[in-house]
Amino acid sequence: MVDLLQNLCLLNGTSGDEKSVRDFIISEIKGFCDCEIDNLGNLICFKKGEKTPKNRLMLDAHMDEVGVIITSVTSDGFLKFETVGGIDAATLMFKKVKIGDTVGVISAKPIHLLSKEEGKKAPKTDSLYIDIGATDKENALDLVNLGDTGVVLSDFTVMGDCVKAKALDDRVGCAVLIALLKEKAEYDFYAVFSTQEEIGTRGARVATFAVNPDYALVLEATTAADIAGVLNDKSVCNLGNGPAVSFMDRATLYDKELYNTALNSGITCQPKRAVAGGNNSGAIHLSREGVKTLAISLPCRYIHTDSSVANLGDIENMLNLTKYMMGSILKDD
Amino acid sequence: MNIKDLLFKLSKLDAAGNVTSASDFAYGILSKYTTAEKTQGLTVIGFLDGKNDYTLMLDAHIDQIAMVVTDIDDNGFLTVSNAGGIDIRTLPAREVIVHGKSDISAVFCSTPPHLAKGDAEYNDIADIKLDTALGSKAKEIISVGDIVTLSGNPYDLQNNLVCGKSFDDRAGVACLLMLAQKLSGKKLPINVAFVLSDGEELGLRGIRPAAFRVNPQEAIAIDVSFGDGIGISDTECGKLNKGAMIGISPSLSKEISNKLKFIAKESDIPYQLEVMGAKTGTNADMIAVNREGVKTCTLSIPLRNMHSDSEILSLSDLESVCDLLYEYIMAGGCFNG
Repeated sequence: MVDLLQNLCLLNGTSGDEKSVRDFIISEIKGFCDCEIDNLGNLICFKKGEKTPKNRLMLDAHMDEVGVIITSVTSDGFLKFETVGGIDAATLMFKKVKIGDTVGVISAKPIHLLSKEEGKKAPKTDSLYIDIGATDKENALDLVNLGDTGVVLSDFTVMGDCVKAKALDDRVGCAVLIALLKEKAEYDFYAVFSTQEEIGTRGARVATFAVNPDYALVLEATTAADIAGVLNDKSVCNLGNGPAVSFMDRATLYDKELYNTALNSGITCQPKRAVAGGNNSGAIHLSREGVKTLAISLPCRYIHTDSSVANLGDIENMLNLTKYMMGSILKDD
Repeated sequence: MNIKDLLFKLSKLDAAGNVTSASDFAYGILSKYTTAEKTQGLTVIGFLDGKNDYTLMLDAHIDQIAMVVTDIDDNGFLTVSNAGGIDIRTLPAREVIVHGKSDISAVFCSTPPHLAKGDAEYNDIADIKLDTALGSKAKEIISVGDIVTLSGNPYDLQNNLVCGKSFDDRAGVACLLMLAQKLSGKKLPINVAFVLSDGEELGLRGIRPAAFRVNPQEAIAIDVSFGDGIGISDTECGKLNKGAMIGISPSLSKEISNKLKFIAKESDIPYQLEVMGAKTGTNADMIAVNREGVKTCTLSIPLRNMHSDSEILSLSDLESVCDLLYEYIMAGGCFNG
C-alpha cells in the first residue's frame, strides 16, 4: 500500500490535467474490473462481485490535486501564475515546481530589498513568479505555454509511522480504491476516480448522475490541526486515531445512520470535530433524487501543501473501515 | 567529476556545527590534489607549493545557513533558532533535516485552512514549530542543540542555470576543488592555499584562525552575490550567465581588482564588476586585516534566491571563476618578484 501511494503521490495531476494519474490507475486495475472514461475525464469502474446487491453503491476518490496554472510571462521571462484549488501562498515561496518537463522556482523580491514591515508579511500569489531560467519572454514561451499547469515538487518521505508527500489529498483515496478493486468482491460495486474536485467537485457531479447510486462512500483526506499551538477543540482530528468520519461540513449534512454505523464499527476511527471544508459528498449526495453518503477521510496535517503529513496506520484503518461499510450497506437483510 | 556533478554532490551534503559531511567530502577531494589538513571546526586547508615564497590564499566558505533546536515538546514538535540569515516567511510547510542521533525529516507547521485569518505575519522563528511526526519518541532521537538544515535535491533549469540548496557557498567550494585539480602537478609561480572555511554564516568567524594559520601575502574570497531576479533593478545586482564578478571597494586591493580585470580581458573570460562602497560582507573583510594585513579581493558568483533551498546560479559563471583564477595564478597573481 505504501509503494502504491508513493507512486500515486509522485504523479502530477492538477485539476483538469488528471491524465497521468488516470493512466497509472488504469494500468493498476486492468483486468480486475470494467472501466470507462467519461466526457469530463472521470474513470468509472464497475466491479463484479459474487452477488448482485439490492442497493447500488458508489465509491469515490478524486484524482486531481492542487497546483498552479501559467497565466502570463513577463518581458524578463518570469512566469505569472494563479493557483488551481486552495493553496496558501505563504507555503509557495522558493518551492520548486514542475510544469510539464520544465522545472522552475517560485520566486519573489528578496527580503533584503523589502522594508522591515513588508519583510514580515507572507507573500501573496500576485507577488510571486516562476523562474525557469528563461532569458526573456520569447525564450520562456518556447518552453511553456500559457495554460500549462504545474505542481510543487516534493519527495515522498517516510517519517517514523507517518509519511510526508504532496497530493495525499486525494491519492490516498485512489490507493484505497485500487486496493479494493484488486481484491475479490462479495458484492458488485462502482468505483469512481473523479476529476476537478479541487475546483468545485465538478467531476463527481456528472459521474454520480451516470452511476445513479443509492449509497456513496467518499474516500478523502481532511485537515488535521493536531499541531503545536492549536488547542484540542480546534484540532478537527488527530493523526493515529484512525480515519475521520463526518457528520457535517460546509457542503454536506451526512447520512446519520452511516455515520453511526462507522463510529460503532469497532474499527479505529474518529469523528471529524469541526464543520469545515467540503468534498465530493456535496455534489454526490444531491445527485438525482439524492444519495445516502458518508465521507471517510484520512487525517492530514498541512493539507493542500507539498508537505502534507499523514499516519500510515490511519490508511490501513481507512481501508478496513471502507470494507466494513461496504459490507454493512450491501449485505442482504 | 565536472563542475556540475561536483556542485550537485556538495549541495546535497551538509556542513554546519557538528554536521560535517560536506567538509569531509571536500577534504577527500582536496587531499588528492594538495597537501590538505583539517583545522578548526569544519575548515579544510590545502597547500600547493610554487617557485617563490609568496602565498596567495583562495577562500570559499564550506558552512551553510542552518537552524538549531532550542526546545522539544512532548508531542514531537520542535522550536528552533536560526544559525545564519533565514527568511522565516519561507518556512511554513517546508521539509528540513534534523541532525539528531540519526537524520530525521521534519516539516515546519503551516496554518491549517480553517484557522487562517487574512494576512499571515511572521515575527519570530520560534513561533513556527517544526513537526517531526515522532510524537513523544522525538526526545529519544533529538536533543536541544541539534542542527537543522534545509533539504532537497538540485535541479537543472534552462540556459545553463541550476537550482538547489547551499550553493552559497558550495559554488565557491566547487570552483576551488576544480581549480586544485587543474593546478595539481603544474609548476606554479607562487604558493596557493585553498581554504574552505567554517563559520561565515555566523559572522565571518572561521576565516580568522584559517587566515592566521596560512599567513598569506595576498587573498581572494570566492563567494556568491546577489544576482538579477524578481524585483531587483539592473543597477543593484550581477547578471547570471555574464561571468565572474570582480570586486572593487575601498576595503579591497585595487591592485588585485585591476589585475583580475586585465587577465579576464586578455584571456577572453567573461566578467562583470561589483562595486561596493565599504566592506563587502564576505570573508574578505576579515582576511584583509589578518596579522599585518593582506592584499585582498572578492570574486563573486551571481546568485538568485540567496539563503533558500532553491538558490539559482549559472554553471558557465562557475567556469568563468575557475578560468580566471587559473590564469591569474599562472600569471603569478600580484607577486612582483
